[in-house]
Amino acid sequence: MIRLLPRIRSGRVRWGVVLVLFLFAALIPPLAGLNENLNPDSSARFQIFLGTSALVLALWAVSYNLMLGYTGMVSFAHAAYYGVGAYAVALIFKRYHLPILVGLAAAPFAAAAVGLVTGLVAQRAVRLYFSLLTLAISQVLFSIAFTWYDVTGGDNGISINLPDQLNDYTTLYYFTAAVVGVCLLLMFMLVRSPFGAALLSIRENRQRSAAIGINVRAYELAVYTVAAMFAGVAGGLFVMYQQQAYPETLYWTANAQPVVVSLLGGTTTFLGPAIGAFIYVVLDNSISKQFPYQFDIILGAIVLAVVLAVPGGISDVPSVFLRLRERFRRGEEAEAPPLESAGEAIQMFDVRKALASEAIATEEVHSDQTLLRIEHVSRSFGGLRAVDDVSLEVKQGDRHAIIGPNGAGKSTLFNLLTGQLKPSSGKVIFDGRDITGKPPHVIARTGIGRAFQITMIFPKLTVRQNLQFAMLAHGGYTVRPFGIANRMFSAQAQELAEAVGLGAWADLPAGQLSHGDQRAIEIAISLALGSKLVLLDEPTAGMSAYETDKAMELVRRLATERHLTLLFCEHDMSVVFSTARTVTVMHQGRVLTAGTPEQIRRNPDVQKVYLGELEQEELGA
Amino acid sequence: MTPAELLLFTVGGLAYAAYLFIVAAGLSLVFGALRVINMAHGSLYMVAAFVTVVVANQLGAGLGFWAGLLVAVAITGAIGGIIEVLVLRRVYGREHLIQLLGTYAVSLVVAGGVRIVFGANYRTVASPIPGHISIGGFDYATYSFFMIAAALVIAAGVWAMLYRTNLGRNIRAAVADPDLLNSTGVNVTRLYTTVFVIGAALAGLGGAIVAPSQAIGSSIDTDVLVLAFAISVIGGLGSIIGSAVGALIVGMVISFGILIPRTSPFALAFVFIIMTAVLIVRPRGLFGLPEN
Repeated sequence: MIRLLPRIRSGRVRWGVVLVLFLFAALIPPLAGLNENLNPDSSARFQIFLGTSALVLALWAVSYNLMLGYTGMVSFAHAAYYGVGAYAVALIFKRYHLPILVGLAAAPFAAAAVGLVTGLVAQRAVRLYFSLLTLAISQVLFSIAFTWYDVTGGDNGISINLPDQLNDYTTLYYFTAAVVGVCLLLMFMLVRSPFGAALLSIRENRQRSAAIGINVRAYELAVYTVAAMFAGVAGGLFVMYQQQAYPETLYWTANAQPVVVSLLGGTTTFLGPAIGAFIYVVLDNSISKQFPYQFDIILGAIVLAVVLAVPGGISDVPSVFLRLRERFRRGEEAEAPPLESAGEAIQMFDVRKALASEAIATEEVHSDQTLLRIEHVSRSFGGLRAVDDVSLEVKQGDRHAIIGPNGAGKSTLFNLLTGQLKPSSGKVIFDGRDITGKPPHVIARTGIGRAFQITMIFPKLTVRQNLQFAMLAHGGYTVRPFGIANRMFSAQAQELAEAVGLGAWADLPAGQLSHGDQRAIEIAISLALGSKLVLLDEPTAGMSAYETDKAMELVRRLATERHLTLLFCEHDMSVVFSTARTVTVMHQGRVLTAGTPEQIRRNPDVQKVYLGELEQEELGA
Repeated sequence: MTPAELLLFTVGGLAYAAYLFIVAAGLSLVFGALRVINMAHGSLYMVAAFVTVVVANQLGAGLGFWAGLLVAVAITGAIGGIIEVLVLRRVYGREHLIQLLGTYAVSLVVAGGVRIVFGANYRTVASPIPGHISIGGFDYATYSFFMIAAALVIAAGVWAMLYRTNLGRNIRAAVADPDLLNSTGVNVTRLYTTVFVIGAALAGLGGAIVAPSQAIGSSIDTDVLVLAFAISVIGGLGSIIGSAVGALIVGMVISFGILIPRTSPFALAFVFIIMTAVLIVRPRGLFGLPEN
């Protein structure tokens, strides 16, 4: 199934579907006319009106899905920006007597301005609380529209009469279609661009995104504002065909429409919500005509069915269908996808390819120079000093291990270096720059790549995309709202994937790989383009002895021959002593001692610390 | 403002706070234990209000209201159980959006059902505790004081349930770490159902108690839901004390908000401006729990 899906979705079939959709949209007015001739009961004007409303809903829903599907944000304020656009058009046309197209041109700017300001407020919170904050914002905007009689006309709203040129249903339909088409094209370019890649990374894993150099909050605010802008256009078009702006469009429950529509059509594809909009309008019209009271129940049942059975929406139906067919054909066992990795990557680590890979940094190295200097860094949690006055230096080209028993403060120290935590006191200097307390994305951009102890990858993106997006972010390309992200760094990413033995699985979603293979991605991300210092937090956690050897051999040879500087912590002493040139021992948050592996091995204090831990473990067990 | 006027608005605010607390406490309790925002909470409240009105009007004011209240709470509790078993169990641990959409779909079904069964007209029911008390030249409905007393009793009851019973101990443990609780032999699945039924019953209790004090129509579900959200967020989702404090704040703001002339653009917005302000200063609300 996994093998079949990308083929079905990709290439000509996909563009064929798009073409059919656009032809259908273009042919609605003549089809409606034909229908009226054949069937005297139906009204062409009404059907064209419905078509116009479906187009506007499509634009609104696709703009919502920029946040929902591409970035993973749930907003209850999107209807408010739609409403701002609607009022902007109505006010400019009615009160200031300017041409309606001036109003339509101003609508996106008004909505974006309100979106930017309120988005800054909403960003004080994350996830669920972010959603609830947008709910509050939306209700404030609704209240203003509802009660500010002098400007908004209060609960009466503002009615307008369209100028004659646009007062014809067919003309208005094509005008709307043209505007919606341009907006969809702009948004499509956006989601394919490196900027869109950053959004996808954020949806998949916020913490990993920051660790490859993406300023998560800035991108979230940007997409929130852009979505508000397109919602403003949709709201402006709404006023044109509805000839009225009224406060209910801003009420928080109005957000259900774009959400339901996105869900019906599928949030994982660009045009899914647009398809959903047409389905919704048809359903709404046919059901509410026949069962005026049951519409809510039927809609609720459909949404429930989609949520429980087909979380990906209509565009996911092919995969559900395929899964069912597989099951009928070969019984229950067919559940397992035929193409899946089984932890072979590390065995296939290709040191030669890795050494030739362009994607891994190479710079002249002066091994006498300090790359990273930590000066008296401390961090306490409540009364506990997890890291206590730690100072250490990492020379360029060094392979520096930090060891110590559990709770020694190794992971906390790493989090202080990469910005997940801020030091209570002390300084961190990297490559001549003071990076103390800087946010993770800034630190990542200065050239520190990190492999986390817990696997931190982008599970629904392909292996290649995982590496590509890391390279895009490291290189600072993700600010670009143009270009095609999937075509950038594609060769380098493939090369790197092959070097870590994942070449054959480069097109699989990373989350489908086995644990060991995901560790390989984790290591590869930390190696990807531009990391002068590679931080490995227990890189071989959960690996077999053989895998550990292979992985560390790769890391060691890369470090030697491609001039990477390594800082890693590890429990496996054989790994430490075979890889490290310098070892720092931490105990209870402090640096116990530092030296060459040989010095450390013979140090009686170190032996006592480890022996002490063993005794405690035995006593505790 | 004279002291008598001050008292008038204060009692009005307490009456709002009373029924809003009952509803918000249910929402917050469910969120605390199940980590699910129940979008159908307002719909359960609406069902209970309609059931109470219909039963009370059938059996006659007075005793009929109390019978209606019991029936309403039983029905909403039962609907809650069905929702938990059929829908929520399949969405635990999934993204917030899926949970929101799942319960939103339920709210559509329930609200649609209410419209079919009870129609679109507003309904009213006579107060089971009629009469007025006159203080300082203003008349106060005796029922307002009953609502305030009922909220206090329910607050005490919820508190006792959480801190004085085995069930409450398990609920608090589930809030902290459901997996650990499960491994100690507690049936967490059944516990979740119980919590959700209690939450739904609280929504029902709020709807039943509010019925004699206002006209009951088919849009009261979203109106109360958004206020319950505001209260639980101001107080901190998952905290019962927070719900009480939040309900007091929101009740007072609504009551004293009447003093502001309606032409002011912010007359209705105050509750949400406060909600925004609280979240900006304390992103988890006044008494909020950290998100797992």
